[in-house]
Amino acid sequence: MTLTLSEAGQRVVAGTFGSAMKRAGEALGSMSGQVIDVQTPMLQRCTASDVLTMAGGPESIVLAVYVGIMGSLQGHALLLFSPADAHRLAQILLAGLLGPGELPMEATADPLAYDELELSALQEAGNVTISAFLNELGMHLHEPVQPTPPQVVIEMAGAVLDAVLLDLVTEADQVLAAKTTFSEGGRAIDGTLFVLPRADSLRVLLDALGAIGL
Amino acid sequence: MTVTESPSLLVAGIGEMVLSTDARAHLVAYGLGSCIALAVWDPKAKVGGLAHFMLPSGPHSSGSPVKFIDTGLDVYLKALEAKGAVLNRCVIKAAGAAAMLTVGGGLAIGKRNSESLATALAERGLSMAATALGGSAGRTVQLEVGDGRFLIKSLSSVTEL
Repeated sequence: MTLTLSEAGQRVVAGTFGSAMKRAGEALGSMSGQVIDVQTPMLQRCTASDVLTMAGGPESIVLAVYVGIMGSLQGHALLLFSPADAHRLAQILLAGLLGPGELPMEATADPLAYDELELSALQEAGNVTISAFLNELGMHLHEPVQPTPPQVVIEMAGAVLDAVLLDLVTEADQVLAAKTTFSEGGRAIDGTLFVLPRADSLRVLLDALGAIGL
Repeated sequence: MTVTESPSLLVAGIGEMVLSTDARAHLVAYGLGSCIALAVWDPKAKVGGLAHFMLPSGPHSSGSPVKFIDTGLDVYLKALEAKGAVLNRCVIKAAGAAAMLTVGGGLAIGKRNSESLATALAERGLSMAATALGGSAGRTVQLEVGDGRFLIKSLSSVTEL
């Protein structure tokens, strides 16, 4: 399917995605016990190459939590952290779970090495954040939106994103990308949430919002 | 202190190709996951090319000439010939086509890319001298036009193919 969304339709989708992304940021904040600022979400049509630039460039290393979106509205969601921020978030989450003095891991020289507990905590953080986004979105739909189980990948951003992009660009040169940045005042855990919907499945959202004809 | 001139770096973005006859040129494709990079090097004419294919098949895309293997391969090979490459003496190597994501089911594009490339090359009487395809690790690749060295970098290693 090619992108057929009108400008007006795109504004409606941007508003709904924006409020859902804010809810996602709140969920991450409440899970980590931090105050999370959610940058004004943006939704734009762009090329695959633009999406890679938005993620910091294809060779930048990220820890990504991927969740596929199935059901009436389909697409892909990714929560990306730099390796250092991912470590800090894992520390914060595990300190909350285990209590002081019980942290299992020591500071490691290798920023790409995570133990199982850290990965599990980060996977859950991604799951909670993306689920909050989807739950908010589901409030506007009459049909369910279902997440796949989350998957954590530590990789070059290009490598993580390209499979997702390839799934979207078979018949169109552009994709619709929604992005926001979560930041915590102390720069402990900055993350980027990407949502890449299948453009042909957005009709369901416009219909549910009463924006038919846009 | 001696200042050495850095080699010229040409980047093949997603769906793009780069070609050069400059012996100092390094042709690079960053962060390949399911995409596939095809390096072609003519040792005699010293012509090198790197194409960053995205998908097996589809209509020709003017913005991304090598987005699809089926329509993009000939565009790429003709461009190499126009630079002076003689295809049947070229060294051809490929890397990429990994499967990064295992959830969701429908994202096994890497394997299809890999099969499609081998078939398309065979149909044109060409074969690959070496490949680093599949697996679950991302790759950045670099072809050095001067000597044909083809390097593959992952998060954990750098190897020459």
